[in-house]
Amino acid sequence: MENKKKLLLEIKDLKTHFFTEDGVVKAVDGVDFEVYQGETLGIVGESGCGKSVTAFSILRLLDYPGKTIGGEVIFKGENLLKKTEDEMREIRGKEIAMIFQEPMTALNPVLTVGFQISEALLMHFKISKGEAKKKSVELLKKVGIPIPEQRVNEYPHQLSGGMRQRAMIAMAMSCDPILLIADEPTTALDVTIQAQILDLMMTLLKEFNGSLIMITHDLGVIAEIADRIAVMYAGKVVEYTDKKTIFHHPLHPYTLGLLTSIPRLDIEMKRLNVIPGIVPNPLHFPSGCKFHPRCRFATDRCKKEEPSLIKIEEGHLVKCWNVDKVLKEVKKGLLVEV
Amino acid sequence: MANSLLQVKNLVKFFPIKKGIFRKTVGWIKAVDDISFEVYEGETLGLVGESGCGKTTTALTILRLEEPNKGQIIFDGKDITRIKRSDMQKERKNMQIIFQDPYSSLDPRMRIKDIIAEGMLTHNILKNAQERYKKVGELLERVGISAEYMDRFPHEFSGGQRQRIGIARALALEPKIIMCDEAVSALDVSIRSQIINLLKDLQEEYNLTYLFVAHDLSVIKYISDRVVVMYLGKIVEIADKKEFFNDTFHPYAQALISAVPVPNPDYKKERILLQGDVPSPANPPKGCRFHPRCFKVMKICSEIEPKLKEIKAGHFCACHLYDN
Repeated sequence: MENKKKLLLEIKDLKTHFFTEDGVVKAVDGVDFEVYQGETLGIVGESGCGKSVTAFSILRLLDYPGKTIGGEVIFKGENLLKKTEDEMREIRGKEIAMIFQEPMTALNPVLTVGFQISEALLMHFKISKGEAKKKSVELLKKVGIPIPEQRVNEYPHQLSGGMRQRAMIAMAMSCDPILLIADEPTTALDVTIQAQILDLMMTLLKEFNGSLIMITHDLGVIAEIADRIAVMYAGKVVEYTDKKTIFHHPLHPYTLGLLTSIPRLDIEMKRLNVIPGIVPNPLHFPSGCKFHPRCRFATDRCKKEEPSLIKIEEGHLVKCWNVDKVLKEVKKGLLVEV
Repeated sequence: MANSLLQVKNLVKFFPIKKGIFRKTVGWIKAVDDISFEVYEGETLGLVGESGCGKTTTALTILRLEEPNKGQIIFDGKDITRIKRSDMQKERKNMQIIFQDPYSSLDPRMRIKDIIAEGMLTHNILKNAQERYKKVGELLERVGISAEYMDRFPHEFSGGQRQRIGIARALALEPKIIMCDEAVSALDVSIRSQIINLLKDLQEEYNLTYLFVAHDLSVIKYISDRVVVMYLGKIVEIADKKEFFNDTFHPYAQALISAVPVPNPDYKKERILLQGDVPSPANPPKGCRFHPRCFKVMKICSEIEPKLKEIKAGHFCACHLYDN
């Protein structure tokens, strides 16, 4: 079914490294995925796995010492990494928009909300300032901000966290982007506000059949809104498939570990599973499979050779040597500890 | 039920809002406004609510790190609300706290052995340095850090390890109760489960009582025996964990549960979307504080503030829906 959908964005072997004084940090090291028209791709992983850097690399927002040193970002048939800065500016905000985690730092504190929304409109369309302002009010209304005529003249600090995130969504949606990249958009918000914001984002996306790349560490959020999911660990995608498969038949030990180590509302758990150890230091990644020191399925082979992301079944890619062993475990019942 | 270890009676904590060059008080932030609850020996009481609801202030006020304006705090049969600072310090041997942020809660200029031993020095436990550090080593090993690392500084540890150090520090005095203030919120998923399991094991081992403050209901459901829900400085519901999740009374608590994302694509639930934001605690709405956002609001709700009442055995709720 996926193949029938229109391919919008294709990431091929993306490599973004940071050249720091201490050495090269391979934040994103060979990432591949696709985004189809109208779908939501969830990128999930813990801090430092490279999920945000992937997003920034797509829009080419990284500065020194970060640099995308390889791969392709093909958006609507064209490689964004080959575009000039001027061409990128045309795409950013207009065709691909981004929502950031912390609305307080992502918004400019000394400019009014209205000005910041108008800015993108004025840049991408030939309209007057008055029209841009009018459109800003409409947008604020659309994202559910009460009294938009007044709010449009206010500064970010006058808005609550949830409202700021709404304003940022209004800004991102202002030029009807075809692809929205949301980097932990609800992490800083309370759950009841998070529910509002997710609901709003999904309603707006449906309205114009836009695509979304949702970056988060929260498996619950992913389960609610994503169609397909890429699980990242240490700069690489370790498992890539549709939502149901990820949650019911994960085949990567890391995915399995994550799913069984979170407390959850839907089932009673006797004891949480634990992924031992910590995320490795990106300056000194382990040899072979980067997950092997924390993996209970690891063998000698994992220590020496790094597996590649291979197709296990249609639409299910896994980067692991021991898929058979994981499968056995999953078949026993995902939540053995229950 | 076991003995009551901690009783909080009509606790009030307001913070002044000061303005102008003379710092005149122009209003009050009603952080905690007349709340009462009990913590039983050996249990984990989950205190849940959204930011600004007063859950952290409650924990800090119980420890008298913030002085209460009104009310009573009875710990282990003793009223500690008005006792002298020096006496309170002695009481704190039995009441410890683990903070949310493992980065700012450890002094960066102290070695971790001294961070953990500081409480023992204050309370004159193990005066002999050698014995003290031996105990520090044991504590470190118990929380999963090698005792060889005790000469290191906090910055040499990861977030999860620092949280373990914070736990070791709290354990050092063998307290009766530990307040865990969002103790696992800042941690990554894989580290969080390690710490939660550690807290559970330690509870069993040392017969600890936890007041577990958190905003994450999934964690609360996993770790608590009973649940207290706060909204804008008030308690809206208290119940046994099972009872609370099976038969939630208060509309706010219902909405809160429904808003929690569940990592299961097949999990069907009714989604209650609340309108608007949490109002400012400086100027809470009249009547029931939740009424402007409530989906079951009635006329009476904007007029009279509902009292926390026992509706079923051990299940309390402050809502006019249950007036009869």
